[in-house]
Amino acid sequence: MATVAETAGSLGHEIERSGAPLIDVERIWKIFGRNADRIVGTPDAELSRSELRAKHNCVAAVRDVSFQVWPREVFVVMGLSGSGKSTLVRTLIRLIEPSAGRVDIDGRDITAASQAELRELRRHTSSMVFQHFGLLAHRRVVDNVAFGLEIQGVAKAERLSRAGEVLRLVGLEDVANSFPDQLSGGMQQRVGLARAFAVDPKVMLYDEPFSALDPLIRRDMQDEVIRLQHETGKTMVFITHDLPEALRLGDRIAIMRDGAIVQLGTPEELVGSPADDYVSNFVRDIPRSHVLTLRWIMRDPAPGEEEGPRLDVRTTVRSAVPVIVESEKPVCAVDNGRVVGVVDKEAVLTAIAGESG
Amino acid sequence: MAVAEAAGRLAAPPPRRWWRSRTGLVLAIVVGMVIAFFGWRNQLVWPGSFTWNSLSHHLDSFQTWLSNNRNVPHPSVFFRAFNGLANFLDNLVGWLTSLFFKLTWAGTTALGVLVVLRFGGRRAALGTAAAFVSFAAMGLWESSMRTFALTLASVGFSLAIGLPLGVLAGRSNRFQRAITPVLDAMQIIPAFAYLMPIVILFSVGPGAAVVTTLIYAIPPAIRITALGIRGVPTNTVEAATALGATRMQTLLKVQLPLARRMLLLSVNQTILFALSMVVIAGLIGGQGLGDVVTSGLYSNPALAMLAGAAIVIMAIALDRSTEAMAIRTDPAHRHLTEGKQRRLRLYTLGCAVAVGLAVGLGHAFNAGSVWSRWTGQSWLLRQVQSALDFVQNPNTFIFHITNPIGNFIVRYGLEPLRSFFVEVPWPAMTFGLALIAFLLSGLRPAVVTIVMLSVIGVTNEWTSAMDTLSQVLVATVLTMIVGIPLGVWAAESARTRRVMRPILDVLQTLPQLVYIIPFIYLMPVSIVPGVIAGVLYASPVVIRLVEAGVREVSPHSVEAADAFGATRFQTLLKVKIPLAREAIMLGVNQGMIMVLAVVVIGGLVGSGALGYDVAQGLQQSLFGQGVLASLAILALGIALDRVTQGRRRRRLEDLA
Repeated sequence: MATVAETAGSLGHEIERSGAPLIDVERIWKIFGRNADRIVGTPDAELSRSELRAKHNCVAAVRDVSFQVWPREVFVVMGLSGSGKSTLVRTLIRLIEPSAGRVDIDGRDITAASQAELRELRRHTSSMVFQHFGLLAHRRVVDNVAFGLEIQGVAKAERLSRAGEVLRLVGLEDVANSFPDQLSGGMQQRVGLARAFAVDPKVMLYDEPFSALDPLIRRDMQDEVIRLQHETGKTMVFITHDLPEALRLGDRIAIMRDGAIVQLGTPEELVGSPADDYVSNFVRDIPRSHVLTLRWIMRDPAPGEEEGPRLDVRTTVRSAVPVIVESEKPVCAVDNGRVVGVVDKEAVLTAIAGESG
Repeated sequence: MAVAEAAGRLAAPPPRRWWRSRTGLVLAIVVGMVIAFFGWRNQLVWPGSFTWNSLSHHLDSFQTWLSNNRNVPHPSVFFRAFNGLANFLDNLVGWLTSLFFKLTWAGTTALGVLVVLRFGGRRAALGTAAAFVSFAAMGLWESSMRTFALTLASVGFSLAIGLPLGVLAGRSNRFQRAITPVLDAMQIIPAFAYLMPIVILFSVGPGAAVVTTLIYAIPPAIRITALGIRGVPTNTVEAATALGATRMQTLLKVQLPLARRMLLLSVNQTILFALSMVVIAGLIGGQGLGDVVTSGLYSNPALAMLAGAAIVIMAIALDRSTEAMAIRTDPAHRHLTEGKQRRLRLYTLGCAVAVGLAVGLGHAFNAGSVWSRWTGQSWLLRQVQSALDFVQNPNTFIFHITNPIGNFIVRYGLEPLRSFFVEVPWPAMTFGLALIAFLLSGLRPAVVTIVMLSVIGVTNEWTSAMDTLSQVLVATVLTMIVGIPLGVWAAESARTRRVMRPILDVLQTLPQLVYIIPFIYLMPVSIVPGVIAGVLYASPVVIRLVEAGVREVSPHSVEAADAFGATRFQTLLKVKIPLAREAIMLGVNQGMIMVLAVVVIGGLVGSGALGYDVAQGLQQSLFGQGVLASLAILALGIALDRVTQGRRRRRLEDLA
């Protein structure tokens, strides 16, 4: 799977960011505490967390967050614990009621939906994978995977055959008749994934799905998500506190702090031009050459420079290094067969040198 | 500047001198009460002008009016409702009893043993079979079946009410908040206190016995069920919601199945609570073993002992078998595949056929509804009687142990305390206790304490209540002397814990009254059996609470103390016990309430005081007196609870 990491946008597909977004989040707030709903819109909403707690005994978990997610996009929300990211993903399908703001999913206003409409959305449009799996200990793996369909009222034979298909997709067909506590953590989360996929949703929500797993297994699971994304083309909102994971998976990443988004952009944008000290502190230890692509360091070609070896503009600096070192001439960055810029040795060295400083 | 400010804020206040600490103040109040006692001894008894003397008379005429109106040919709707319920329950118990009789003894035994075998496994089934054999051997088959029928009816009813309410309390915070004080109150009231009102409303009979049991057994059913529902991992519930499950789907497919073990545990607890009440119910017309015990206490002590033993056996067998069934049928740990399920279905079928066969054979050979062929009853009775004679013979060594202990407790504990409480000026008593309540628990408990003590005074039960209070206090002190060291020891040593656990388990399964029986004969000094029984009844819970409290102390704190080179004793004294103080305080609180429940039952066997008034009310139809004494028991229970509840009340469940 190493190749996947070598192209930018990680998953290596182009997102059409035109037309209607699949998820449209507009100025969402969530404040916990009594009378919390009255605070949004008043000047008090601008108070810092500790001031708000002192004055109203309320906690602002999500503050004025807006973003759009387009079809087939992987949108990652990254933040440390307590940054409000898990609350945010729950407000999207109203597992937690937002205090203010509006969420549209697939053209429907979720915040105004009735309980019945909300159930319909949760049954058919969205699916969620949880940090601690949330599996039913008293049911076999296959029954767990079929649970979403059972909730929808799908007949037993049909839902079991669908569950069997999904289990094959995640490579768990051999343990279909086992019980969750007989599986390892990684396998349990595969069951969680399969359960979410079984209902064939348009939107997959992941709430720190791999945080409870060992690093090696975590990598396997990330590969699994990438593979599934390739095969099924779902739209994903992925919550994590792990920056490498965010960079690996995300088409775009929103970094949250104290309930608000401090920067939203592609992995390259975050690593290449962090918005503030908080973000740059975060990305400091990330090898820039692993994230930045030729697009980020190329310059306009001077006349006659277009003869050098050609590389896709999405190639990361690291994988371009051998070609650039070998070549006498600057390397040409190509997008759809057209040369869009050139990269010389100096640009590569500058990019790599930037890592230490 | 900022640093200086912070330092100013962090600087510790000067330590208080010990006499200004809470302990010191409580001690000062007690000293004040003692001074009042010596200064105005016997001069300020509860004034007659503050009592409502005709209340008892009014209650008597109310009771007469009730029974006159209840037993007319066409009673009003109100009476018809109560009569109907009582009749229904009577019939239910009667129907269950006759079912057991119709199955014949062979069929009943087969049914009981095979159900336990199918769902609880071989060991539990063996225990059940042994219980049936012992009922037969003791010649108490019929009484045992009656008691079992009574228990079953009570449990069925308790669960029918308790489980749904528990589910509701588990799912709704608001309902939980609303119902908790009610449950608290139901559990504080000693069972002895509500016998009278129930007899008045339902008249004597199995129906009244079932209702009594309900009041006692429903609270644990609700609590444990709610706890089970709340114990289902939130993310599992959330996962179901995220998949679009309705509330009903979440309940049926997620919460109930995952809480199953706790639900079955609540069934187990309800059975034990019900069984322990069934004995007391013998006083108000519940037939069976309870009846044998309560009537045998005076006329046939050996038979009462035997019936007590039968109850103990039944309690242990029911406890073990339901616990085994709860654990073995938990689907989360059984990993049932389809093949296994098919085999189990066959197994069930086989068991059902075997029961049918046993019933058929029973009828074919005229086995009879109860076992009566061979019993060891007369032999057992002789043995028990000779044992009783032995311990009561002034020439045996046991007498030389028990008698001095009994006398010591009376001379240096009960007598002086009794005279102190009864003769201390009532204002000193009332306000002293209220002040202690204020210091330990806060303003509201203090007010409640004053109100409760006034209720006791107004109903003209002051002297009896103070007498009971002295017994409760002596028993509580003894309980603490036994319970705290044992609890700490159990927390410190795994081996002690292993040895003590089965003993505590058995002690906790025993019905209250059963504790008293042996001590009536071991320590025949009027008040002592009730007190000792109270200590035995309350000690297991206190030991468990203290043990849990000490063990709950964070291992990090202990590790830190170890790292500073503290000896084991220092760690215990300076870290563990102070950090476990709340649990110990809860132990005092719970211990007192439990002791009170037993001490008043002691009124049946010569403890006098409030319990005696209730017993007399029940046995000699002195309704007014009985109801007032019941009211006083209730008031005393609430007052004691409020005085010792502490500021931040923690529940048993949090620690258990």
